[in-house]
Amino acid sequence: MAAPAWRRRRPGVADILPRAMDVRLRLQLVYALPLIIILACAPNDARGVRAHGAVIDVDAFGDTLRGPAQPPQRIVSLNPTTTEIVFAIGAGARLVGRSHWDSFPDSARLVPDLGPALGPNIETVIAAHPDLVLLYASADDERAATRLHDAGIPVAALRIDRIEGFRTATRDIGALLGDSARAANVVDSVTRTLDRVRAATHDLPRPTVAMVTWQHPVIVIGGGSFINELIEVAGGHNVYADLASPSPTVSLEDLVRRDPDFLLASPKGRVNLERDPRWQAVRAVREHHVLVIDTTIVGRPSPVMGQAAASLAGLLHPGIQP
Amino acid sequence: MSRRRGIWWAAAIVLAALAVASIGLGSVHIAPAAVLSALAGAGDPGTVTIVRVLRLPRVAMAILLGAGLGMSGASLQGVMRNPLAEPYLLGVSGGAAVGAVIAVLVGAPAVLVPIAAFIGAVLAVAVAFFVAHATPGGGDVRVLLMAGVIVGAFANAAIMLLLANADPAAMRGALWWMMGSVAAATWAQNGWLAFYVLAGGALLVAWAREIDILTLGEDAAASLGLDADRASRRVYLMASLVAAATVAAAGLVGFVGLVVPHIARRMGASASRAVILGSALIGAALVVGSDLIARTALPPAELPLGAVTAVIGVPFFLIQLRRLR
Amino acid sequence: MIAFQGVSVRYADAPRDAAHDVTFTTERGRMTALVGPNGSGKSTLVRALLGRQKLTAGRITIDGAPLASLARAQVARRIAVVTQREELSFPTPVSDYVALGRFPHRGAWRSAGAEDRAAVARAVELSGIGPLLERSVDTLSGGEWQRARIARALAQGGEAMVLDEPTTYLDIAHEMEAFELLSRLVREGMAVLLVSHQLNLVARFADMLVLLHDGRVAASGIPDDVMRGAVLERVYGWPLVVTRDPAVGAPALVPLRGAPRRDSTLNPSSHIP
Repeated sequence: MAAPAWRRRRPGVADILPRAMDVRLRLQLVYALPLIIILACAPNDARGVRAHGAVIDVDAFGDTLRGPAQPPQRIVSLNPTTTEIVFAIGAGARLVGRSHWDSFPDSARLVPDLGPALGPNIETVIAAHPDLVLLYASADDERAATRLHDAGIPVAALRIDRIEGFRTATRDIGALLGDSARAANVVDSVTRTLDRVRAATHDLPRPTVAMVTWQHPVIVIGGGSFINELIEVAGGHNVYADLASPSPTVSLEDLVRRDPDFLLASPKGRVNLERDPRWQAVRAVREHHVLVIDTTIVGRPSPVMGQAAASLAGLLHPGIQP
Repeated sequence: MSRRRGIWWAAAIVLAALAVASIGLGSVHIAPAAVLSALAGAGDPGTVTIVRVLRLPRVAMAILLGAGLGMSGASLQGVMRNPLAEPYLLGVSGGAAVGAVIAVLVGAPAVLVPIAAFIGAVLAVAVAFFVAHATPGGGDVRVLLMAGVIVGAFANAAIMLLLANADPAAMRGALWWMMGSVAAATWAQNGWLAFYVLAGGALLVAWAREIDILTLGEDAAASLGLDADRASRRVYLMASLVAAATVAAAGLVGFVGLVVPHIARRMGASASRAVILGSALIGAALVVGSDLIARTALPPAELPLGAVTAVIGVPFFLIQLRRLR
Repeated sequence: MIAFQGVSVRYADAPRDAAHDVTFTTERGRMTALVGPNGSGKSTLVRALLGRQKLTAGRITIDGAPLASLARAQVARRIAVVTQREELSFPTPVSDYVALGRFPHRGAWRSAGAEDRAAVARAVELSGIGPLLERSVDTLSGGEWQRARIARALAQGGEAMVLDEPTTYLDIAHEMEAFELLSRLVREGMAVLLVSHQLNLVARFADMLVLLHDGRVAASGIPDDVMRGAVLERVYGWPLVVTRDPAVGAPALVPLRGAPRRDSTLNPSSHIP
């Protein structure tokens, strides 16, 4: 994974979602509420690296990840995606804590809920006696990372925005867990599925789409998101692929101007869009071209991405067999 | 407003020009002729919807919003005898924000958010009044101000608690609301906003002479036969109610109610009636202009209206602050 | 015209009455002055007259009608009060400011009629503020501002005017101007009630003095009766003599230098009959 790219961008509050906020919105947040002060960055001082072994990678906070002397047996994962990856690698039984938001796969719900993923409760985490903590790489977790380091607990802060980021993170977690082989299997499986979907849709006409994740303000999936990649894999073209932000806020008029053939929305989202007279300005809404995505698989940069791409392909190209 | 009539006509023309520009301009380029035919309901259905459903109600809401905030701010500055008073002073913003955040967080349909905000705002003002009047010397403006500040602080704390464990998408929606926007304007919303702004504004204008008297102080008001407590209380309540309606419709749009009355005074208004009416006009122009900037400055994104009015309003405010010294 | 009858006022949680059993009357064509040390209850009585302070006992009447039975606007049409402090928060032209005096007649709705304009014009003429009308109140000097306030009270067109320390910040010329204006109003038949610290001036201008001490009337009557050294010394707690001003012939108070002595061994001040 391109570590310098991570470091260039300081993660923000809504980073708990895979579609992370763009810089502009974060500025707006700072303007809006004093509570955002909570997000003030922690000092990024040098931390001791306590895990021993070969260098694996550099995590999102610039800490060197090293292979463990012994595979960790008590893992805390405070990030929905890494939790899912840990399960996919077959190490779910070694999880002793997860964040409140980690609900996939189903068995993740059986892992003790340690609360927020952003700005976690350090005491709760330490009380679980972890020998590895996987954090979401956001500014307010930086302080948590420092304190866990100070408590002698190995920490890996990971951030997954794109498909490639998922591959790197999965390999890193595999190495940290001492099971690189199974991690490689997971990566290969996802890659193969994506390739199959891409091949199946390759020669089909590509409808233009926009995925709407919030109605007011209008938030869509931009070029910075893995979902943008999944849409391309599934044989569609995201009209907001040109925007670098993973989830930009746009004006409704701009959506009208870009005039996608289809909108992608959650089931509740479609109901709201079709009910709102203002959205009648969007041709896709007028023509009842609002496609409902399977929110249990589309939306996480996790091992389900292959399925997600296949599901999107099924929506955009009914009847194909990826 | 009789002193310099010309300047007010100029302001009205500026408002009209901004409104016309707002209907004509946007992300989608529409030729002026097409805009006109779309206004009449003819032409491409998408264009008609853009002009009649997206732009027109939006401009109307910006006018109502600016007028309401201007009149509310002008009245409160007069009755509180404080040039730094503003419409959100009595806890309106905090209460409305709490109401709106709760509505967004529980996933209420978008139409219910303004209603929740309105209820929150009215409750906050009621609490501020109750707290002030349960205190010895509760009729005192300063006690009321403190009560409003405290209610606002409490509301902020409540918002922090509510958002602490919020779903991030909902949080983003809640924060967007708090930054103010007329992007979601509908005719239904404009209808009841117009009711509060016009009816409330008419009452404030009618009470303007009483506000003039109140600016002399409570003893002087009493010497002119005015029950200062009663007169000021109803101005507080009506101004806050108008502010609450604007907040419910468009979220928090700062600095308009604070800055606009000063501009009206600089333009020659001195009697409260002229200041209130002038503030309605200038407030409308300021918000329509700010919204035009908000939706055209940084395409394809839309800036939060409250951020634009703050960027415009703060320099004005600082100049005013220098004058006060 | 205005009669205080056994008026007592006690503020919440206060150990004693701020005004106790105060009785006096103002008449048309008379200037009545309310004098006394700080905290003696002068302003309390003005507030009571404004209806801003509840009476604990007694009553105030306007031409025999109890104040409590009259609407505020009714009272304001008959009695104009120039309060002690008044701060305009926003710049206002003097003409607009004086016109506010017509509020009790116009209420919130009626626009200015011929009668209103005539009353304002007369007030402007009497107070001599004609040259100031176009100026903004925040550009006025202390003396000009005080005259503008008196003009506003005059525009109310009542038969009585109450002024709470109207000359506090004025220099000699402006102070004398104000007093001359008030005595002219009195000559024209107005009842003037003046709260003042300027004992020597009110002794010259007022027809009647009411001396308050600790909320009670210590003495009242014509200036010669009230301006007695023994009483004033007790009330003000400072050694003083009362002489007769050789130039104008009015009683004049002269405070002496030295520490105050509250015992009665102090040389009784001379009162010149």
